[in-house]
Amino acid sequence: MLEISQVAKQYPSARGPLTVLSSLSLTLKRGDAAAIMGPSGAGKSTLLYIAGGLEPPTSGAVTLDGMNPYQLAEKELAVFRNRKIGFIFQDHCLLPQCSVLENVLIPTLVDHGSADDVVRARELLGQVGLADRLEHRPAELSGGEKQRVALARALIRRPLLLLCDEPTGNLDEASAAMVADLLMELHSRQETVLMVVTHSAALAARFPLRYELRHANLYPAHA
Amino acid sequence: MRISTLLTRNLTWYWRTNLAVLLGVATAAGVLGGAALVGESVRASLRGLVLDRLGNADFVVTRGGFFGEQLAAEMQPAAPLIVMDGAVTHEPSGKRAAGVQVYGVDARFWKFQGLAGSAPGGREIQLTAAVARELGAAANDTILLRIPKPSAIPLETLHGRKEDTGKTLRLTMSGVVQHPFSLRAEQGDVRAVYVPLSRLQREVNEAGKVNTIIAAQGKLPAVSLADMGLRLRPVDGVGCLSLETDSTIVSDALADVASRTARSLGLRVQPVLAYLVNSLRIAAREVPYSVVAALDGSPAPAAEDGIVLNQWAARDLNAALGDAVKLEYFVWKPDGQLHTETAKFRVERIVPVDAADRDLTPQYPGITESRSLRDWDPPFPLDLGRIRPRDEEYWDRYRTTPKAFVRLSRGRALWGTRFGSLTSLRIFGGAGIQPAYGEAFRTALESAKMGLTVIPVKAQSLEAAQGATDFGEYFVYFSFFLMVSALLLTGLFFRLGIEQRKREIGILRSLGFSASKIRAVFLLEGAVLALAGAAVGIGVALAYGALIMLGLRTWWFDAVGTRLLSLHASASALVGGAIAGVAAGLGSVAFALRGLQPATPRGLLAGVEITAPGRWRWFAGAIAAGLAAALVGAGAAGRVDPAAGFFGAGTLLLIAALLFQNAWLHTRRLIPIRGLATLGTRNVAYRPGRSILCIALIASATFVIVSLDAFRREGSVEGTGGFPLLAESVLPLIHDPNSASGRAALNLPPLEGVQFVPFRVRPGDDTSCLNLYQPRTPRIMAPPSTFLRTANNPWLLLESKSADGAIPAIADANSMTYVLHRKLGEEFELDGVRLRIVAALQDSLFQGELIISEENFLRLFPDAAGYRFFLVNAPPGKEAEVTSTLDEALSDYGFDVQSAPARLAAFHRVENSYLGTFQALGGLGLLLGTIGLGAVLMRNVLERRRELALLRAVGYRWRQLAMIVLVENLFLLVVGLATGAACAAVAVAPAVSVRGGHLPVRSLVVLLALVLAAGMLASFAATTAALRASVLDALRSE
Repeated sequence: MLEISQVAKQYPSARGPLTVLSSLSLTLKRGDAAAIMGPSGAGKSTLLYIAGGLEPPTSGAVTLDGMNPYQLAEKELAVFRNRKIGFIFQDHCLLPQCSVLENVLIPTLVDHGSADDVVRARELLGQVGLADRLEHRPAELSGGEKQRVALARALIRRPLLLLCDEPTGNLDEASAAMVADLLMELHSRQETVLMVVTHSAALAARFPLRYELRHANLYPAHA
Repeated sequence: MRISTLLTRNLTWYWRTNLAVLLGVATAAGVLGGAALVGESVRASLRGLVLDRLGNADFVVTRGGFFGEQLAAEMQPAAPLIVMDGAVTHEPSGKRAAGVQVYGVDARFWKFQGLAGSAPGGREIQLTAAVARELGAAANDTILLRIPKPSAIPLETLHGRKEDTGKTLRLTMSGVVQHPFSLRAEQGDVRAVYVPLSRLQREVNEAGKVNTIIAAQGKLPAVSLADMGLRLRPVDGVGCLSLETDSTIVSDALADVASRTARSLGLRVQPVLAYLVNSLRIAAREVPYSVVAALDGSPAPAAEDGIVLNQWAARDLNAALGDAVKLEYFVWKPDGQLHTETAKFRVERIVPVDAADRDLTPQYPGITESRSLRDWDPPFPLDLGRIRPRDEEYWDRYRTTPKAFVRLSRGRALWGTRFGSLTSLRIFGGAGIQPAYGEAFRTALESAKMGLTVIPVKAQSLEAAQGATDFGEYFVYFSFFLMVSALLLTGLFFRLGIEQRKREIGILRSLGFSASKIRAVFLLEGAVLALAGAAVGIGVALAYGALIMLGLRTWWFDAVGTRLLSLHASASALVGGAIAGVAAGLGSVAFALRGLQPATPRGLLAGVEITAPGRWRWFAGAIAAGLAAALVGAGAAGRVDPAAGFFGAGTLLLIAALLFQNAWLHTRRLIPIRGLATLGTRNVAYRPGRSILCIALIASATFVIVSLDAFRREGSVEGTGGFPLLAESVLPLIHDPNSASGRAALNLPPLEGVQFVPFRVRPGDDTSCLNLYQPRTPRIMAPPSTFLRTANNPWLLLESKSADGAIPAIADANSMTYVLHRKLGEEFELDGVRLRIVAALQDSLFQGELIISEENFLRLFPDAAGYRFFLVNAPPGKEAEVTSTLDEALSDYGFDVQSAPARLAAFHRVENSYLGTFQALGGLGLLLGTIGLGAVLMRNVLERRRELALLRAVGYRWRQLAMIVLVENLFLLVVGLATGAACAAVAVAPAVSVRGGHLPVRSLVVLLALVLAAGMLASFAATTAALRASVLDALRSE
């Protein structure tokens, strides 16, 4: 379970602290899938990164499976992210020097992984329709394919929390639909806590839980 | 998938950046390895040179005097030879070469050294190529060789033959020595001549004797007392042994060994001092030219002022007991003149003539063997008119039998010399003691190291070949900026690579890689690159080492004085350089990674630039500037050495300037954008770390080049002490050339306004920077005490006494630091004597020697006769005339007058060569800095490709974009050059104004203009490369 309680985030600026999030709370259970919407600069990505242990909140607490990542030492936090969280970014963030399969396997390098990792990576890539592109480099893939690799990579460690930052933002309609389908399918198959930040109303519409981030806080979004 | 896979992917994907890093490490490792290689090569060359010149001579057997050549036969394989200093004149041209080593050799030397051809014979002389070149001599030319005529009797004693110190041999040049031999560990050309041994023996009256044996082994056979210059003979009718020396003087040390040996055998010793007095006088009566014996025991008087006369003298003087007797005698004093002195005694006793024997008096050449008194040929004035028939009768009957006796202590006080105060020792103990005493005495002498000396010359020379100067170390210093540039560039390129991959780092962080794990991966990458770079660096080291060795043989010849240096590839130097290169490369990679710390994963993903506030830089810069100002003040006020003070201030100022610039760039509060030029300068602050690194590289190298140039010494004559001339002589001058009598004795015409400061010299190793070998026994010189008093006060430190017995010495500051490797107050041990450096001379003529007081010199080196070095004062404009007159008049002494400023200039040339080396390598550092700047600029431009494409899209033309980039580069270059040059100007201000240094404006301007041009070219290339792609491609590129 992901619990975000009373989280606030401020950034220093020349005109004083800039409040991005204020007393924000959110609870998501295993199997929940939530879309966060809102205008640019509202703090959606900040919320995502706070939830993912990438950016500490100014105040408040975040717990995932009962564990507050920000109470962990740097190395333990890294392991926590590696085991519990999967990320998907708007611009896929693949390593250009590595093949498709290697990109998926990158998270397994953190603790030397296991023999099953390659099998699972192949399986995931099969599930996202890239079984025949294992040895290709990212530069040889289309945007949608890259994002599907990023999805496989996010799931390789069987994370509890899957965080997606505009996963279809750079994709055409067809690719976006395909990525969204895969995302939902894999989420339900693996029973993750899925949190997606998006501007896309079409993508958000596929989520049972939808929120809008306005005035530094979350409000249920209307369909 | 393994970390190694990721590593391989990273290395190949980012190959351009990695190649730059690899080349940076290769340069650093190569420069370091190459510098170490130079050290090894110089040492190996020096070793090779000394081994080549020594040939098969592993050991040298020598003594102050001559000994039987048959010893060589007992030491086989060995060769006997005579070694001495000499001067040669090429008769056809009149050209002279002084300070030449003369070797008297024969077939044994040729055989021992395995030389082709044959030894010179008859009237032949062979010259080394250097001497032949100096004289312009060819085969069959007549060569006049002037050599010292050795005398066992010290010159500076009454019986020393001061007017007959040299001999000239007229010889014919038979050829050039193909394989020059030298016992001296010096890298310069061998200046030597070979003459037939038998001829030399004949000319120096030492038939069958030599003064040196070279041998392949150091085991000395039993040496006779005669080979040590000693005689032990029974005295007829007295029943004792008499121990005498070839020098007619028994030194205190020898007397001590002889006495202790006698006592150990239960024998009695009677020390004797016999002296020839000019007259024994009572009132108006006198006895001329009589021997007086000073001794203890019979027939010596009991009272200190008592004198015992023999009956002959008493009768001649009509003496009665208690009469006052006045002795008049000559004494040779250190001022180079004979003095007549007197002493008074009271007649205590009168003894028969046979109370003493003629053997109490040693064998004086020109006296003892004379048939009559009128035949005497002593080395002092003799008034034959005073000799009466009865004196001749006494000579006929009693020869040198003493006519009077005084107490030994009184005699020693009156006639003792620095060489000793006895003329013989008598050993009493009955008949038949000679064999036992002789053997015991010989053994005692050997254990006291007073016999022949065996010198392990090869081992010592090899040790000296370690060098006075560690060229490896020097070239590491000289290459410092080159290395620093290479390492900064390594770090910079690595940093660029990391910056390029910031997003990748962010991804890895988000995927659960800890910062330390990511750093480990990068370090691993760095390690692979460093290892590969170091491997490439081995090749660079060989090339760099070869280049420097070439430089030492050609451009920087003055620094080493030999063209016989070659590259010796040493595994240890190469591996050492490679290891250091790996370490330095890894260090700079680690330093580059340090900058990643403050970035958060999100920041990394977003490509945020972390710019730390510049406040601490302002603060640190202010402190450095404050310290610089304080140092300038202290230097100007004389609180610290102005040169050091200002140099330190300049360096601090450079640091302060770089800190201020760094802080300023970090504030980003730059000039507002008003046009293309200001837009270019704005970019400088976009990546302040890169910009400041470029400025620092250029500024530091400029600082070094500009400041070092001002330390060049050209035309400075301050170090001559105002003496326009100096002279050295092969034969010692015993007489004082400043006195009329001395000039008359030297046959020197009066020279108006010419004054000499004579120095005593103990020959030894050159301690100046002209000698690459480590000096083991430095040359020692001693000026007269009058010079110390007329000179500045620090010279008087030479006469100070230290409680621990160390001898005060003065050395040239450069020689002390760089050749002897000592500091003020430190000591140098020389044959068991501790010399303590009490003062150092700045930029002096005395770089090749240590200077001690004359008093200490005479005590330590009593055998070094006369004066062999001279400072000569001559009226302005008359230097050439004085030089030619002195060279001519004193040519028999091998007198060689030189210009003092020219000698000083030779030392300066060495210093300037080192500075030139430093500058040249600093220049390479500057070049590397410029290349680095170009690379950084290229990177900056490539990173801003989209930005530039955007500008093109909105209508900017190529020329305008090039202008933006050029201005940015120009800004960095000009700021770097100006900062370095301005700080250097402060650093060298005293050198320029006080030490006669100068700024070679033209060459510096050319150099700096070249750097500027190279930088501009790099900018042009970068802009062209960046703008080659189409606007759309650039806009689409990630």
